[in-house]
Amino acid sequence: MTAALAHSANTGRADMKGVLQRALPLMLFAAIIVGGLGLTAKALYIPVKAELAQILLARAFEDSLEQGTPVKPWSWADTAPMARVTVSRLGVSEVVLSGGSGEAMAFGPTAVLDDAARNVTVLAAHRDTHFEFVQKLRAGDEITLERIDGTSEQYAVRAFETVRWDEFGVPDHNTGLLALTTCYPFDTDTPGPLRRIAWAQRIIG
Amino acid sequence: MRRIAVSLDRDAMAMMLILGLVAMGALTTSTFAARATANPIHRTAAPVEPLPASTAPISSEGGLILRGSREVATTVPAVRLGTDIVADVDGQTARVTVTQAFRNTSDEWMEATYLYPLPDDGAVDTLKMVVGDRVFEGEIKPREEAQQIYEEAKANGQKAGLVEQSRPNMFRNSIANVGPGETVLIQIEFQAPIAQVAGDYSLRMPLVVGPRYIAGSTNSGGSLTRAAMLAGSADILAPTADPDMVAQAGSGLNPVSITVNLAPGFDAEAISSPYHAVNVTGEGTTRTITLADGAVPANRDFELRWSAAGDAPSLGLFRQKHGEMDYVMATITPPSVQRIGEAPPREMIFVIDNSGSMAGDSMPAARRSLLYALETLRPEDRFNIIRFDDTMTVLFPEAYAAYDRALEQAKTFVHSLDAEGGTEMLPALRTALDQQGCADASKVDPGSCAVSAAADLAMGEDKTERVRQVIFLTDGSLSNEAEMMAEINQNRGESRVFMVGIGSAPNTFLMRRMAEAGRGTFTHVGMGEEAEPQMQRLLDRLASPVATNLTATVEGGNIDFAPRDLPDLYAGEPLVLLGRTRHLAGTLTVSGMIGGERWSQRIPLGEARQSDVVAKLWAHRRIAEVEAERYSGETSHERVDASIEELGMAFHLVTSRTSLIAVDDTPSRPEGARLTREELPLLLPAGWDFDHLFATQFANESRDLPMRESDKQRQRLELPNTSTGYRLTLTLGLMLLVSGGAGAAWWRRRTEWQGRLDTEHALLSLQRRAT
Repeated sequence: MTAALAHSANTGRADMKGVLQRALPLMLFAAIIVGGLGLTAKALYIPVKAELAQILLARAFEDSLEQGTPVKPWSWADTAPMARVTVSRLGVSEVVLSGGSGEAMAFGPTAVLDDAARNVTVLAAHRDTHFEFVQKLRAGDEITLERIDGTSEQYAVRAFETVRWDEFGVPDHNTGLLALTTCYPFDTDTPGPLRRIAWAQRIIG
Repeated sequence: MRRIAVSLDRDAMAMMLILGLVAMGALTTSTFAARATANPIHRTAAPVEPLPASTAPISSEGGLILRGSREVATTVPAVRLGTDIVADVDGQTARVTVTQAFRNTSDEWMEATYLYPLPDDGAVDTLKMVVGDRVFEGEIKPREEAQQIYEEAKANGQKAGLVEQSRPNMFRNSIANVGPGETVLIQIEFQAPIAQVAGDYSLRMPLVVGPRYIAGSTNSGGSLTRAAMLAGSADILAPTADPDMVAQAGSGLNPVSITVNLAPGFDAEAISSPYHAVNVTGEGTTRTITLADGAVPANRDFELRWSAAGDAPSLGLFRQKHGEMDYVMATITPPSVQRIGEAPPREMIFVIDNSGSMAGDSMPAARRSLLYALETLRPEDRFNIIRFDDTMTVLFPEAYAAYDRALEQAKTFVHSLDAEGGTEMLPALRTALDQQGCADASKVDPGSCAVSAAADLAMGEDKTERVRQVIFLTDGSLSNEAEMMAEINQNRGESRVFMVGIGSAPNTFLMRRMAEAGRGTFTHVGMGEEAEPQMQRLLDRLASPVATNLTATVEGGNIDFAPRDLPDLYAGEPLVLLGRTRHLAGTLTVSGMIGGERWSQRIPLGEARQSDVVAKLWAHRRIAEVEAERYSGETSHERVDASIEELGMAFHLVTSRTSLIAVDDTPSRPEGARLTREELPLLLPAGWDFDHLFATQFANESRDLPMRESDKQRQRLELPNTSTGYRLTLTLGLMLLVSGGAGAAWWRRRTEWQGRLDTEHALLSLQRRAT
């Protein structure tokens, strides 16, 4: 009898063990799935945010244009639209934000430099969201830059160059330059030191 | 049971491992994908073991053509220039007078500089500055001294003209203190030998310097810093005229009129100018050739070709006494020997330039030339193609037998070439010379050597018999000519280097000297239509027996020839001997080997005609030879400079070390009047694509500003990281989802099955216990 009892207790412990052994891998797979879901959501958040922000920004840009002063796209935003860049050949139109912070870049291209005295504007945006089109630009493409003060400038793409992120310089004397900068090469997803610059020159007249 | 659980855990771990590997794989492939896009062609080619890096990454150090404000001239210059060229062809030399009229259209005092080309074998010896009815003769001075005299005169308000050599085929005229509304003439004279191949003669007069690329690789392996290198090439940069501005300039910018008085010493026929319309007047042995349009824009080389009616004289002999010495020039054409039977198998390495300067008409011409050459390959020949701009692609890992499939691949490759980017020729040259066969086994990977040797054996061939020819197709728009020559001199091995100058204004200096250093020859392909006939002529010459081991001796005397080592001659090419001796007499004997046969010719020197250009041509040739010694490292820079200066001073020649300077003795600019300096813009060579070229160069301008301006003048910007990398995260996330889901499903099936097994097991044990 005692032997029988001992046997049943033993079987019970073995069953417990069996359940654990069965559940553990399942939990592991569940963890993988949860992780995967998390990563997917995190990844999708980026282009979705980029797209949605542009809709809000477009509205804010129109408002800014009307009022002549920068209007925040949402109340807690720390940035405001300053211009709209359009490449009609590629059907691209994006609202540019002032200030080149990493946060602002999640919403749209930002102006790293906008120096009226030197006639240079340098825009930066992510190569896989807003400036994905930079790889499709060709010499001769026309770019329109509408500012919130109502002025509009026409540029033509003249050149491309690839530089290290810390080797980029802008010339002093020029007749109006617009640089669209983004990461390079285009088809990778890992960060690298190279930047691709599309140079456009203002078209006079 | 326990054992099963353990093994399942192991499976789960293996699963995780696989997952990790897959993720890493995804990472690396995405990185490689990016790299491969830079070089899509190479990816499809065969394995690449023995090659040097075949695609150089886009050079962050790369060059530029024109910098800063000197890039493009968009306003009509205040000083307008007109050029008149008169060439007197007498026998086998030409005496050319170039008159440049600098007209100041502004109301300010001006200084102007103008960069212009001359034939690379031309020896400039005379400068005259004409102000009103006064003529000032130029004097030859060491370069720095001439500069100093010029600067002093300029500061003094005196008119001054300075002629400096930037490259043997590029000169710069500076003229100071041209008053408002005033015109000053700068007249230079030079002489050059007439080019001659197989009874066809030509006079080539370059009219424009194409914008040059400044290579970023100049300092690699050398001690030259980039800043020093840029300083060295600053003198070959000039602004390029914007075509819109040229249209505004009305009567045309930099118009040129040309007159050739042709007295070749025989009845010339088939007089033609392939790139300009001309009128030919006169009869018999003297003709006058003028441009049909009067004046033309200085945007492409002028070439006049003629041939001899009947038999061309196979010998020309001239002499001159200069100082203590006698100088002699002999032009001897060895008999062309027809090859008996087939030409030996060849290894032809084609190197084609697809840099931005080739955009426009040049690229199609280069493509046509190369495609034509490919057609002439035989199955026993081997070949390879290297294309370069500021990157480079090698078609095959090593030279490949010219079978149909390889040729098809090569043609597709050639058709896909687009003109873009800078002109980094050195890596391409290095690779072309590096890929030598096993004759020079120390250089190549022994493994690959054995393989190709085995392949040769299998085909019943002897590799050593293979003639190795490297053929460059380029416009030579670069500035590091010296590096090319040095590379060839040091590493040519058994290869011979041939140059095909492409376009309306190729760098003939580079063509000639690279071919000389590589014991080859060169030709020009000016336009697409010329591609096939010119290539045919070149390839015929390459296939014919070469005259080698040439020597020349004079009875009873030493003669100092320039060059000291006589070059090899290709079919139809004459031997131009330039020599000097104390007393010219006796008989000149020239001998050599042509196609395995001994050949010699005796020339009695008494028949030599008097000519007053021989000494200068000898000096010019000697200078070129001394320069070549510099490249090959035989002589130190200091000694080369010293001997060039000595030669320049002795023979009154403009060289890299000596300049011509003319100064008006009376000051003309009133004290206090401001002097404005202007660099005259150059037209872009015909057929060049302005938008394309300057689109490319435009980018380089900003890249290079750091070199030119001090740090405070320009703004350096750090660019933010603009890669969210969400795609990678997304891929990873989805991969995890899929594998997790798949794993879970598999596990469920496994446990169900396990459950059934357990139940059966339990039943079985119950049964057993019951029995």
